[in-house]
Amino acid sequence: MFTKGSLFYIGQRTVLIVFTVLAVSSIVFLGIHRLPGNAFFSERLRGSQEAVLLHHYHLDEPLLVQYKTFIGNLLHGDLGESLIFRGVKIAPLVAREATVSAEVGVTALIFTVGLGILFGVLAAMRQNTWVDYLLSTTSVIGYSMPNFVIATFLLLVFGIYLDNLTNGAIFYEIGWSGTYGTPGQIWLPAIALGFPYASIVARLTRASMLEVIRQDYVRTARAKGLSERVVVLRHALRNALIPVVTILGPLVIGIITGSVVIENIFGIPGLGKEFVTSILSRDYNIVIGVFTMYAALVGLANLGVDLLYTVLDPRIRY
Amino acid sequence: MAITAPAMTEELGQTLAREQVSLWADAWRRLRRNRLALAAFLYLVLLAVVALVAIVYTPYPMAHQGVAVPYSPPSASHLLGGDAQGRDILSRLMIGAQISLIVGVGTQLVVLAVGLPLGLLAGYYRGWFDTVLSFLINVFYGIPDLLVALILVVLIGRSSLWVIIFAIAVTRWMDMARLVRGQTLSLREREFVEAARSTGARPSKIIFKHILPNALGPVIVQATFGVPQAILFEAFLSFLGLGVPPPTPSWGSMASDGIAAMRISPHIVLAPAIALSLTLMAFNFLGDGLRDALDPRQKR
Repeated sequence: MFTKGSLFYIGQRTVLIVFTVLAVSSIVFLGIHRLPGNAFFSERLRGSQEAVLLHHYHLDEPLLVQYKTFIGNLLHGDLGESLIFRGVKIAPLVAREATVSAEVGVTALIFTVGLGILFGVLAAMRQNTWVDYLLSTTSVIGYSMPNFVIATFLLLVFGIYLDNLTNGAIFYEIGWSGTYGTPGQIWLPAIALGFPYASIVARLTRASMLEVIRQDYVRTARAKGLSERVVVLRHALRNALIPVVTILGPLVIGIITGSVVIENIFGIPGLGKEFVTSILSRDYNIVIGVFTMYAALVGLANLGVDLLYTVLDPRIRY
Repeated sequence: MAITAPAMTEELGQTLAREQVSLWADAWRRLRRNRLALAAFLYLVLLAVVALVAIVYTPYPMAHQGVAVPYSPPSASHLLGGDAQGRDILSRLMIGAQISLIVGVGTQLVVLAVGLPLGLLAGYYRGWFDTVLSFLINVFYGIPDLLVALILVVLIGRSSLWVIIFAIAVTRWMDMARLVRGQTLSLREREFVEAARSTGARPSKIIFKHILPNALGPVIVQATFGVPQAILFEAFLSFLGLGVPPPTPSWGSMASDGIAAMRISPHIVLAPAIALSLTLMAFNFLGDGLRDALDPRQKR
């Protein structure tokens, strides 16, 4: 699978990712330092104290010097120190938060792809029956609803109504204990995060399944006397999934983006929550760090998806 | 299009027998037959009326606290109840409709103003301009749009309706540019364009008189699908506290306020959440209907 050519391709892409990350963080760094005010505004410090702080963070130096230090540190994997929580290093912080986000994101991705394909195949196999109509309508509703609305409904149903209904016997406990959630905590945010995309996957799978199922080789497979299960899973679905694979890229980016909102609703201590918290508290060093991390994640995710294409569809080669 | 002689006379006969209708009248007729799209269209008209009425009249001033009992459920005097500060939810929902529509339509106008000329020029002249534009479009498709819109709002330093429209348009302009470019690329090879060119028509005339009108159908569909996307973005930004500054309500910020009080009074979050979902759904259904109406040959 990894020939010399594809290894070269991976190398090329990795270099490109590094440059993208540098460019993105530079833009954000310079853009943010152009803004008036800093995180210390809210602390009402007296002149000399503020000067001490500004000096500690090198904020009293000329912008160009600051930028040079920033890029130098960035290349050593150092993203600086939080402006609000003094002494807290940002690089390990965002790295840990990225793993928390990844935990929820990967669960959501599995859910999205699994459920989307399952529903798509079911709808195609039962075309123009109530199953098809039910699934198709659900999918239109699914991609028309913002994920925070879906999250709200899920929280209302599983967190509150179910609690009242069963007198607290079975319900989803709102709130996230510890850094990494338990499986009992992850499933609901994962569904909220993946539902709109599951709808899109289901729609695509249904359409491409309907196309494939009419092809000659499927008829041949049936004529050979293969069981319906083998025909559908082995012959039809495999080829029906090729167009579905093409939306994996937008899908992964969508889940990364969606996590910003979902993490804030469910109180998940991941990258998305940190992003919003740091923006609202003007902890600009963290904003830069989180955005740098996002740039790297998106680059790596795109590369991962592109490599996955070659595995799923051997006709694609790099 | 190659039509054989008998088919042509048959079609001619049909056309003569029936009242002469233009493409647009025909599309409108098809759209009216699609009940779901029609219902969506009527809902959106109603929403626009509500938003217009809200300019001059809301049941209560939208920012006044204490006009309703805080957290009060829907009642005769406050049809949708009161929120945590005792503000009337219905009044705020009406203003929210205004904000959503302004952002949705405003963004699409900007996207049209940018994407239409860029797409037409790149598609018609091709060459280096097309190469650069295509590269840019691909770059923009690879970035996470919401995150970039978020950081743009942060970098601009303050948030207002115009900043939000700008930020969303920056992350979504390429949808329209790509579509128009593709349409232009295929249209410029068609016979009627060839004919116009051979009669000595200037490029500007070919682009605006022959290519643009023929690309208009897909452009309208794309714009219709773009509106809910922009509304969704605005709701996201407001939900995260980076949207239209308070006390102006937006459906996103209302939902965000409501989630905090979900346990005791779910109506606060449900009202904007349902309004937002219905509106997005209506735009999507209308877009589906328009696509079918404007291009009956294209299958889904």
